[in-house]
Amino acid sequence: MNQRMPAHQRRDSILEAAMKLFAEKGFHGVSIDEIARQVDVSPAILYRHFASKQQLYDTVLQNMSGRRESYVDTVVNSSTSFEDVLIGMTQVYIKSVTDNPDLLRIELQSLLDGSSATNEFFKNRWKSFTDYIEFSLNERMSHDIPNREITIMAAGLMFQGMLREALAQKFLQPHDRLEDLSMEELSQELVALFLRAVGMNKSHLSRKAVIKV
Amino acid sequence: MSEFDAELDATGLNCPLPILRAKKAIAGLEGGQTLKIIATDPGSVKDFEAFCKQTGNELLSSGEEGGKFMFMIKKAA
Repeated sequence: MNQRMPAHQRRDSILEAAMKLFAEKGFHGVSIDEIARQVDVSPAILYRHFASKQQLYDTVLQNMSGRRESYVDTVVNSSTSFEDVLIGMTQVYIKSVTDNPDLLRIELQSLLDGSSATNEFFKNRWKSFTDYIEFSLNERMSHDIPNREITIMAAGLMFQGMLREALAQKFLQPHDRLEDLSMEELSQELVALFLRAVGMNKSHLSRKAVIKV
Repeated sequence: MSEFDAELDATGLNCPLPILRAKKAIAGLEGGQTLKIIATDPGSVKDFEAFCKQTGNELLSSGEEGGKFMFMIKKAA
């Protein structure tokens, strides 16, 4: 038993174990006892650090949000074109999930758990994308398009769904047929397809993806 | 109220939009001129610090007022 671990270290080790378990089983699939067993302490000691499972869960989320993506580098280092910024943002997002696939697991768990704190947290993570896409399309898209507002909203959803599914296939199903494809190649193709779908061709991005009819 | 040469209203916008619009606005300024930015995204405080550090433009001031964040940036000469 690691009874003599300093309090802050103990707290960190509980958070680490809790994140892994919540990511794997969702909020309702994990008990305080199980988390305590994982870090080799009694539930009583765990309760000294966190008043409840909910509080522990919220703290896990807060820790994750502390690692909020910054798109400053992307903006500073790329052109200001819609396409280049979107590609840069996508790369930053992919990197964050590559570094910590538990982010994606907890996100998918939360969709089923219905935890409002989690949903809010992940909604904000995607908001950078959907806001950027909606705002940019609103500036660029012709006003003659029928159902313009719905089209713009659908474009944001389309991008989110596309990227989230690609990440899920890549990181959560290791034996799938995308195994040999790098996330970079995959995301470039997806962004190119997306740009064509919203009427912005970026031909130099992925010449090989152009289908000749 | 301090003087400024251009103003950017980035209220309601999330990262990276405020930074992106600031970059465009600064591109239209002469060296030494200043841009005032108003934003509501709390993340913009860190973002504008990083932005100025990386671009060499000077962050003259950064503050909060009634839930709004104000930044004053001076374009590098």
